[in-house]
Amino acid sequence: MTLSLNVNGAAQTVAITDENTPLLWVIRDLLELKGTKFGCGKAACGACTLHIDGEAVRSCSYPVKLAAGKNITTIEGLGNEENPHPVQQAWIDEIVPQCGYCQPGFMMATAALLNKIPDPTDADIDRNIINVCRCGTYYRMRKAIHRAAAIQKETTPKTEE
Amino acid sequence: MTQNEKRISRRTFLVRGGLGTIGVLAVGTYLFRNHIRRGIAGVVNTLETPYQGNTKTPIIWFEVTETNDIVLHSPKVEMGQGTFTSLAQMAADELEVSMEQMSVVHANSASGNIDGFATGGSTSVSALWVPLRELAATMREMIKNEAATKMGVPVTDLKVTEGVISTGSASMTYADIVKGVTEWDIPDTPALKELKDYKFIGKPIPRVDLRAKVFGAPIFGMDASMPGMLYGAVVRPSAIGATFLGADTAEAEQMPGVVKIIKENDFVGVIANSQIEAENAKNSIKADWKADKKWQTADIEKLIEVGKGTAYVIQKEGNTNDVLEEEARVLQAEYKSPIGAHAQLEPNGALAFVEENKATIHMSTQVVRITRDEIADRLGFDSEQVNIVPTFLGGGFGRRLHTPNGIQAAVMSKAVGKPVKCFFSRKEEFQNDTFRPPTHHLLKATLGENGLIEAIEHNVSSGDVAFGSPMLPGFAEPILGADLGAWRGGMIQYGGIPNYQAVSWRVTLPFATSWWRSLGLLANTFAIESFIDELAVKAEKDPVAFRLAQIQDDDRGHRLKEVIKAAAKKAGWSNKVVNERAMGFAASTDANTPCAQVVEVSIEDNEIKVHKVTCAMDPGIAVNPDQVRAQCEGAIIMGISASMHEQMFVEEGELQPTIYGPYQMALMKHAPKEIDVVLLQNSEVPGAVGEPPLGPIGAAIANAVFKLTGQRLREMPLKLG
Amino acid sequence: MRKKQTWYALLFASVIGLFAVANYGNDASEYITVTPTDFANEETPFDTMMRVLTHERCVNCHPNDHIPKQGDDSHPHYFGMARGTSNMGFEATRCTSCHQSENNAYSGVPGAPEWSLAPAQMYWEGLNRIEIAKSMLDPERNGGRTPEETMHHLTEHELVLWAWDPGVDASGIPREKPPVSKEDYIKAVKQWFADGHIIPSE
Repeated sequence: MTLSLNVNGAAQTVAITDENTPLLWVIRDLLELKGTKFGCGKAACGACTLHIDGEAVRSCSYPVKLAAGKNITTIEGLGNEENPHPVQQAWIDEIVPQCGYCQPGFMMATAALLNKIPDPTDADIDRNIINVCRCGTYYRMRKAIHRAAAIQKETTPKTEE
Repeated sequence: MTQNEKRISRRTFLVRGGLGTIGVLAVGTYLFRNHIRRGIAGVVNTLETPYQGNTKTPIIWFEVTETNDIVLHSPKVEMGQGTFTSLAQMAADELEVSMEQMSVVHANSASGNIDGFATGGSTSVSALWVPLRELAATMREMIKNEAATKMGVPVTDLKVTEGVISTGSASMTYADIVKGVTEWDIPDTPALKELKDYKFIGKPIPRVDLRAKVFGAPIFGMDASMPGMLYGAVVRPSAIGATFLGADTAEAEQMPGVVKIIKENDFVGVIANSQIEAENAKNSIKADWKADKKWQTADIEKLIEVGKGTAYVIQKEGNTNDVLEEEARVLQAEYKSPIGAHAQLEPNGALAFVEENKATIHMSTQVVRITRDEIADRLGFDSEQVNIVPTFLGGGFGRRLHTPNGIQAAVMSKAVGKPVKCFFSRKEEFQNDTFRPPTHHLLKATLGENGLIEAIEHNVSSGDVAFGSPMLPGFAEPILGADLGAWRGGMIQYGGIPNYQAVSWRVTLPFATSWWRSLGLLANTFAIESFIDELAVKAEKDPVAFRLAQIQDDDRGHRLKEVIKAAAKKAGWSNKVVNERAMGFAASTDANTPCAQVVEVSIEDNEIKVHKVTCAMDPGIAVNPDQVRAQCEGAIIMGISASMHEQMFVEEGELQPTIYGPYQMALMKHAPKEIDVVLLQNSEVPGAVGEPPLGPIGAAIANAVFKLTGQRLREMPLKLG
Repeated sequence: MRKKQTWYALLFASVIGLFAVANYGNDASEYITVTPTDFANEETPFDTMMRVLTHERCVNCHPNDHIPKQGDDSHPHYFGMARGTSNMGFEATRCTSCHQSENNAYSGVPGAPEWSLAPAQMYWEGLNRIEIAKSMLDPERNGGRTPEETMHHLTEHELVLWAWDPGVDASGIPREKPPVSKEDYIKAVKQWFADGHIIPSE
């Protein structure tokens, strides 16, 4: 069957055999957007976090059929070299990544957080940012989240999706 | 760290053709030498590992592009530790180019620039400190010589700025100079610059892979892709010690998307059109495994006990036996650490394409050479027919110091004649990990009349770390005696104590245990530095002063004293409980890098909360101070995770749990909100960075908890009673 | 082993309950007649209903501490997930970040329409079946529902009926269903309400 998806602002049609295929694999293997990571496949680590209609969603546990007609944003659509999202700019400024594998998931979760709480407190961060990072970059991430909030306040908020 | 080899004599190399580029030779043979023996000696005697690869041929290290940029082909892999950035800084400074002109890629094994050892042991920057700068300087001189010929002036009249060579009146870029030249004379190794003349070494340069990682570039093994690629899945056992008997694949063969099912002697694999089709078919296979015994956690704990297995004295000074015989005076304590999982976020896996005469393998691995040779063996190829293309690692931590899973992808690719990508599931990662072994420690000591330690003995019982690893040939074990991985951090570092001894007990466990970031350092330091704290309490002395009073007066002792003093000073050390918060102190020396940490802890809802960690470390020259700090921060948080949260169990013959969550790890909320890193430099070379800061954290927390609650926590993970 | 014990405990509780209900019934109503031989084999609609409502498939999402429970052992939800502001999790990491409108067999993440925690006042965790029943009928604690509405909620709401379609866990193992079939449960609930939703005194 074919499904129509809107990914990073572009309409995409994908042919799949199982409509319950996790969105993660459609994004990665059919649309070749590798920034969304597989970490556990059980919605536990958060490496596969992307946005669906602006909400943070763990795509390894999201059947692609539910994504039809919705707006999907991945790390590749969050921002780019020319126009980084405030979260990406903050991640660059604080030199957050080490191995880097979990970082897109954290950045997507953070971008969703800033949509809901533009200036999150440490407690807001602790509650909402519950992805897993093995390198232990949490310390710099926290600084980067606060910095992203500041950058976002200074600049015109980006409209996503 | 000097390479005990003669400077290379003039050699002529034929360089791959191509406009405006030199470098990255396609060489059939190269100057790899088996330095394994010296490597072992180096590890054992000095805890330094000399670089075991080519140190003579700049053109397999550097590539000059048409845009006058330099590509460094690194034989060391980047797994987050920041090595690529430090190597780029070292190269840029001697090559006389800017950081913007530098990029770093992984050298594939066919390029000939291959590390005979591995990426591990916190050795990448230290082992390449001299060779890489010499290679870069040699490359610079080589291009200058060519420029002198082209520009018709003596080489001494040439100046280089950012990859542009000028005579004063005329100038040429490196790219212009190398264009079309296919034969190069390699000059004698030039003298290196003075440290003070470096522009990039010692500066907090942003990571060279920063942007790729922030914008989600497809740089990891799992992101590798090839046209026509199929997806593989391998049936793996969940039980400890299971041997494969056979499998019923009838149902799987009928599943949608299945291309082929292969049955080897040691595994069954499914090849399908998509990841989930491979996974679904795999799940329908009824595999038959035989496991002799249903192991339980209690069985493992019984095995790991000081006094069982084989013992080897790893350190002996004075006479501990006589002193510690006077039982009435002896203070004694036991400590334990659990089985630890690597839990790196990117699962192990590989993309393999095996053709008639060659195999190409894209994968995350810390052991390029070993993996290449293993795959070649299985395929019946010569090593040169297998090209390992290393990718960025989604975490290493020692998990990828043996990556035989590349074989499975290769075997499956060969079976279908197409590229096949095959990865572990998360459950398989947890159950087929090469775990950090559990440990048991017995410490004994006596205090002298001066209130200082008169004699101390540390016994550690551990599963294997280095022993059994393919990196260590079998013959090394009798030479080494004790497992150097297991006893890492297990020696007594206070040389002022008159009598001290350390004994390593070896136990082989029924499941694989191996390298886990910092090896034995985490558990050994937890035990020793907690016990030192117990002794300080007993002696009614300040734990910092107690340590300082028992450090010997030599270079090593001086460096240890300095980090202890620096950490205490920066943290505003206090031995009192203030505002229901207490400080805890611990120090360690790992691979010649001393590190001291002060933690600030409170108890909230009967849980230990770490608010602040002050870390003083002396890694010698910090090539990139920002990334040294990042390693300290990361190691502290990983150490909090391992010492306060993580634990694998053995239940009904299986390692459990098999997923994040039940395998509890530190999350954002558990990370200290303040981490203050002080870097000292009391050594003239770059030393180990990635592992040493994992040492003190567990003991520092336990010591703070004791001060706060009176509870002495002697088992990791640290939980209040 | 653990399951067996739970089963015996439930059986024991049911039998004790039967006596209580039987006595209450005889006093309060003419048409419930219970003969001694029925005790071992039959249970009242209330008993049937409560064997379901006290099962972890139901209680896990009616916590008394704002923390959802997971699994047959009812452990606290991993990663510190909690009720949040509107029973839907935290501001940006909501229940629906992971839980969709149906179970997901690939990840083992359960799902159903309106996946969320029961409101705080509807906590059942730690309550006995009498207390649960009282809570269920108390408009202050049942979302202002009339008994009729509560009956419909208990027998028709998809999130409630998810208990009989709980899917597989992260290891691919089917979750335990309540110890009564959906049909018998619905019948029992309807009967109990039809009979005047009388709460036995135990």
